[in-house]
Amino acid sequence: MISTVLTVMKYIFIIFAAASVVKIVIAKNRSEKLIALMILSSVILALLALIAVDSDQIFILDVALVYDIFGFLGLLAIARFLPQVRHKKDREESHDS
Amino acid sequence: MTEMLLVLIIVLAVFSLISRDLIHSVIALSAISLLSALIFTLHWAFDVAITEAAVGAGVTTIIFVWALKHTSRKDI
Repeated sequence: MISTVLTVMKYIFIIFAAASVVKIVIAKNRSEKLIALMILSSVILALLALIAVDSDQIFILDVALVYDIFGFLGLLAIARFLPQVRHKKDREESHDS
Repeated sequence: MTEMLLVLIIVLAVFSLISRDLIHSVIALSAISLLSALIFTLHWAFDVAITEAAVGAGVTTIIFVWALKHTSRKDI
């Protein structure tokens, strides 16, 4: 019973991940893409924890922990450097005009 | 489940190739490394998944965004 519920939840999370990927591809704004990437990160973190519970392997939780730390660093880098990148682009456009 | 994840990776890879804004490509590449770590985990390669999560999602994204900060953001 519990195994069936966990398997159904795995496929539900995969569908959520597919919806997040579609949002990353079709979003016009880059902040929308960043938010979709954060949602994808959270969904896959939950999926890793679900697989760890389902298969009773504790090493998967190590993968989830390492991914959470470094994925947060990557998202932080994108969010930190994006205003400077936009500022430089605007400065170049003002120089051009 | 692996086939669905591979289809998602192919979609993201094609999008990162055809995108004109390089920040969007970096975001797509970060999502690709995330899904790759999940596939490695599903096939019981935990050490490869840890390395992919640390290097692919963390360090590569930081280096790409840092390089974009010093160069142009538009693909020519």
